[in-house]
Amino acid sequence: MKLLVRAELRRLLATRMWSALLLAAAVLGGAMFGAMALVGPENFDPPMPGLDTETGLRAILGILGYTAFVPAAAGAIAATSEHRHHTAAVTFLFAPRRGRVLAAKLATYAVAGLAYGVVLAGSAGAALFTVAAARGISLGMPAGTVLALLARIGVAMMVYVLIGAGMGALIRNQVAALCVVIGYLYVGEPVLMMIPGVNALYPILPGGATAALTDFTYLADAMSDQLGSGTVPLLPPVVGGLVLSAYALTAAAIAVLIPMRRDVT
Amino acid sequence: MTIEVSRLTKRYGDVTAVRDLSFTVAPGVVTGFLGPNGAGKTTTMRMMTGLVSPTSGTATIGGRPYRKLARPSRTVGAVFDANAFHPGHTARDHLRVYAAMGGYPDSRVTHLLDLLGLAEAADRRIRGFSTGMRQRLNLATAMLGDPRVLLLDEPSNGLDPEGMSWLRGLLRRLADQGRTVLVSSHALSEIQQFVDDVVVIRRGELVAAGPWSRLAGPPLVLITTPDAADLAAALAAGPAAQVEAVSADRLRVRGLDAPSVADLAAARGLRIHELVTENASLEQLFLRLTTDQAATR
Repeated sequence: MKLLVRAELRRLLATRMWSALLLAAAVLGGAMFGAMALVGPENFDPPMPGLDTETGLRAILGILGYTAFVPAAAGAIAATSEHRHHTAAVTFLFAPRRGRVLAAKLATYAVAGLAYGVVLAGSAGAALFTVAAARGISLGMPAGTVLALLARIGVAMMVYVLIGAGMGALIRNQVAALCVVIGYLYVGEPVLMMIPGVNALYPILPGGATAALTDFTYLADAMSDQLGSGTVPLLPPVVGGLVLSAYALTAAAIAVLIPMRRDVT
Repeated sequence: MTIEVSRLTKRYGDVTAVRDLSFTVAPGVVTGFLGPNGAGKTTTMRMMTGLVSPTSGTATIGGRPYRKLARPSRTVGAVFDANAFHPGHTARDHLRVYAAMGGYPDSRVTHLLDLLGLAEAADRRIRGFSTGMRQRLNLATAMLGDPRVLLLDEPSNGLDPEGMSWLRGLLRRLADQGRTVLVSSHALSEIQQFVDDVVVIRRGELVAAGPWSRLAGPPLVLITTPDAADLAAALAAGPAAQVEAVSADRLRVRGLDAPSVADLAAARGLRIHELVTENASLEQLFLRLTTDQAATR
C-alpha cells in the first residue's frame, strides 16, 4: 500500500495540473478573495452587508467556499486520467488488486486536497486580515472564529477533491465526469432546491452539507425568502462534514467494487 | 517459466472471441502468436494477465494465475497498448511511477533508459515521442522488474526496419537468457525471421502450434533461367523436390532451398538469372494448415 501511494504521488506531482492547482488556490484565495475584500461586499451589486458585520463576513467567506468546483474538477480529472490515457492496464499489471490501487489514489488525492485547502484558506486569511488592516475595518467576527471558518473551508476543499475523484473513478470518462460533477454543483442542486418538497432534502445534499460545514447560510436563506418557504435548517458543521465525506466515500466504494469485475481493454 | 493456456473461452454477449483454446509457451525460445486481426490474440493475452476475466478455462504462468503471483511485475512484463502514457509525463516520470509501484529503485529506471536507448529523451514529455520511442518506453516499463516472462502484443506496429532489427536482437537475447517470450502479430512476414515456435489462431480457435521450422513447410523457391527445361529435369531427378513451370523461363520449386538449387545448377553448368525464396504469408499458412488438417482427418 505504501508503494502504491508513493507511485500515485509521483504520478500526480509529475503533471502540470498539480502546480496549476496550487496556483489556482493562491489566485482564488489571495487575488480573487483579496480583491473582493478590498472592494468590500457593501459595494457589490446588489450590495451585501460589509466586512464589519458578521453577515457580510460570513457571506464573503461562503463565496470562497463556492470555489469548491475547482478541487472537485481536479479530483475528477486525476481519477479519470488513467482511463483517458489507457494507463489503467499498465497499472493493473503492476498491481492486480484494483481496490488497493483506488484506495491509494484516494489517499494521495486527500493529501493533495488538503494542500490545496491550506493554500486557499491560508492565502485568503492573509488577504482578509491585510485588507482589513489597510482599510481600517474591524472585522465582524473575532479573529479566532474567522480562522476556524477558514479551516473548515480548507477541509471542505479536501472533501471536494475526493468527491470529484470518487465520481471520476465511477464514471471513468473524463468529460462526462467533469460535466456531472460541475453540472450537479451549479445547475442540478439549485434546480432541485426549487422543487417544493425536495428542498427539504437540501441539508443532506452536497451543497447543503457544504453550507453546514462552512456555516454559509446566505444562499439557502435567500432562496427560502424568494420561494416564501420557511428557512431550511442546516445540519451542525461536523455532521455536514461527515455527510460530505460520506458522498465521497460512497462514490469511491462503488468505484472500488465495480472495476474488480470490469474487463480492462 | 511456462505459460499454460487451458480450454480458455471468452464470450462477449453473443460473440465468442476465444473458444476452447489450449496451448503452452515454453521458456528459452521466442514464440510467435499469430492470427489475423480480430482472431482473439489480444483478448487471450489480456486473459493471461488478469486484465480480462475468462468466461471459462484458465491461463497460468509458472503454474499460477496472474492475479495470484506474489509480485507480478517481477514475473511477467507485458506490453499491450503502444500509447499507454500520460502525455504530460516525461519518460523518466513514467518509469518512476511504475518503479515505485513495483518497489524498484531509481537506478533501475536509469539502467533501462540506457538499455533501451532512451537516455537522451529521458526528460522530454512523452507527448512528443515517435511511435518507435513509445514502443521502447513500453518495453522499458515491462522490463522494470527484470521479469522471466515477456508478453508483447504487436510490438512491431509502427517500428521502422532499423527498429525491427533492434527488437529482433533484443528478443533473441532475452530468450537466450532462458526467459519466456511471447510475441503476437497479424503479419507473419514481420516475425517469421525471429520466432522459434508459433501458435496460430483464427476466429478464437487454435489452428496450429509447434516449432516454426516444422509448421513452415518445405521452402518455396522461384527461379528465372534461360535453361528452364534442363534445370527442371535436373531438379526433378534430384531429392524430393516438386517442380512447376510458371512460364517459359520461370520455375517454382518446393522442397529445396535456394543454396541447394544454386549449387545443383552450378554443378550442371546451367544458368540462373534470378533466385528468390518465397516467404509464406499468413494466408498461405492458413490455407496449407487447414487443407493439411482436412487431409489428415
